[in-house]
Amino acid sequence: MASPAAVSDSHSNTVAVQATNDDASASKLSCVKKGYMKDDYIHLFVRRPVRRSPIINRGYFARWAAFRKLLYQFLDIDKKTDDGGPIKKQILSLGAGFDTTYFHLQDEGKAPYLYVEVDFKEVTSKKAALIETCSQLRSKIGETASISREKGEVFSDHYKLLPVDLRDTQKLSDIIALADMDTSLPTFIIAECVLIYLDPDSIRAVVGWANQTFTTAVFFLYEQINPDDAFGQQMIRNLESRGCALLGIYATPSLKAKEKLFLDQGWQRAVAWDMLRVYSEFVDAQERRRIERLELFDEFEEWYMMQEHYCVAYAINDAMGLYGDFGFSDDKSVPSSP
Amino acid sequence: MDSNSHGNLDEQISQLMQCKPLSEQEVRGLCDKAKEILMEESNVQPVKSPVTICGDIHGQFHDLAELFRIGGKCPDTNYLFMGDYVDRGYYSVETVTLLVALKVRYRQRITILRGNHESRQITQVYGFYDECLRKYGSANVWKIFTDLFDYFPLTALVESEIFCLHGGLSPSIETLDNIRNFDRVQEVPHEGPMCDLLWSDPDDRCGWGISPRGAGYTFGQDISEQFNHTNNLKLIARAHQLVMEGYNWGHDQKVVTIFSAPNYCYRCGNMASILEVDDCKGHTFIQFEPAPRRGEPDVTRRTPDYFL
Repeated sequence: MASPAAVSDSHSNTVAVQATNDDASASKLSCVKKGYMKDDYIHLFVRRPVRRSPIINRGYFARWAAFRKLLYQFLDIDKKTDDGGPIKKQILSLGAGFDTTYFHLQDEGKAPYLYVEVDFKEVTSKKAALIETCSQLRSKIGETASISREKGEVFSDHYKLLPVDLRDTQKLSDIIALADMDTSLPTFIIAECVLIYLDPDSIRAVVGWANQTFTTAVFFLYEQINPDDAFGQQMIRNLESRGCALLGIYATPSLKAKEKLFLDQGWQRAVAWDMLRVYSEFVDAQERRRIERLELFDEFEEWYMMQEHYCVAYAINDAMGLYGDFGFSDDKSVPSSP
Repeated sequence: MDSNSHGNLDEQISQLMQCKPLSEQEVRGLCDKAKEILMEESNVQPVKSPVTICGDIHGQFHDLAELFRIGGKCPDTNYLFMGDYVDRGYYSVETVTLLVALKVRYRQRITILRGNHESRQITQVYGFYDECLRKYGSANVWKIFTDLFDYFPLTALVESEIFCLHGGLSPSIETLDNIRNFDRVQEVPHEGPMCDLLWSDPDDRCGWGISPRGAGYTFGQDISEQFNHTNNLKLIARAHQLVMEGYNWGHDQKVVTIFSAPNYCYRCGNMASILEVDDCKGHTFIQFEPAPRRGEPDVTRRTPDYFL
């Protein structure tokens, strides 16, 4: 019911959710400064650097490492087009915030044909302004790019930044058309701590829209699970107290429910692991050993609990038959409906 | 000690009970007195029953105040704290200052052991150092306290039968006399018996194991049974690990973990507990939940970190 109070609640929730972007950027910078990962760009997006505790640094590292490994699996898939050239690929980042992945991929020579980021206009405007004023960023998108702070838009040949409210899937369709996305190309869709803030109907709508739109796609999801135990209840309370209710968590409270979310919306395959398992079985052992030496770490019980309350899920549509080897591992992936 | 200085101390304690820190000069004076008292104590400090045994506090001052409301005020109730007063919570300064002030005022009524967080190195990572800088504008108070921590006793022995310490056992220690004989006045080393006492954890696996913490060991039920047998102990009471119910029996009731920071780090949603040992050496656990966070300014700004 759209009572005035509900409208104002919804607005304050939106503002608070946008603020999570600054929090996440500051945390990533904290990791970078401690040597967990390399990111030459994130400091450009952080006004007030902070030092996070080792558990937060390690958790952001785990998420980053899992994301990168899956993304690289996607980017490294080698398939030729009919005329013998390498197949073009796209990335669509939902609620991208100040994520810097595009800029790294440029540096590493791994950037896809097209990289599209969408978020609330309040966020894309700030990001557009930063890209415009900062030569380090601007040089990565090309000098011919058109940038509008007012509209919160960046258009370049291979990178687009566009404003959208994810709750409006018609707008999403308009936006990807505007961004010149080719829905038949292999597409990696990213949603890190994004969908969980939406109401369950909107989440299903986004997941269903993505399924209907992209025929050869990977949908990467990272977000909270297990709201019902003591840690989970406290997590819900704490995040509510800062104004960002996890509106979607009760509809998909478990790994099974995350998988079902995708399968019910028509995705061919879906796999969800909690971050404890992702960290110990998917993140490279050598990398784990390296980062575990970076800081004194005395937060084990809490670390296990926290990681059990986050998951990575991915869903696959594979019209082109590209993704046979994609995923956590060959023998352990969860079977899916046909 | 003359009555005037008691008067000052009583005023300081009532100020601290309101979560108001002392001045740097007052902290210095207090820690000088505490050092004289603590250096007289044994590495295995004898304690009489009745006594209430408490685990980690970690700067959660308001929950410590709740603990005293539930367990009884000091000195009406005797207390034995098993370390980790500082780091993680927002009020390490007030928490550790209060406990040290109570120690100076009622030395026979309260025992404060050393935890692995009572160390120079770990407090620079987990918050106490930063908090001192923030509240005093310099690291002097941090220096004063961490110098004092070197004198905290490592273990206590209640009525010759309950062995209390922060972490756990060490492969280099067979008897309590082994502990009594080493020089504890130093920063917690990275390895060796003193390190193990503050870092080790009981484990379901038998024997000694490598600890994921990178310091101390894990020890199995066979180790606990042997140690208790050798030293005529009934129980090892220790802290160091978050347990969701506030206490957790292990090793066929040869070991108990006590954790006294409810909703640890304002994030974990756990209960806290304390263990009352009465005149007849009977045991009663009292569980408690977080104190309502009224009186803390700007609660929303202080929500703990998550991955967002």
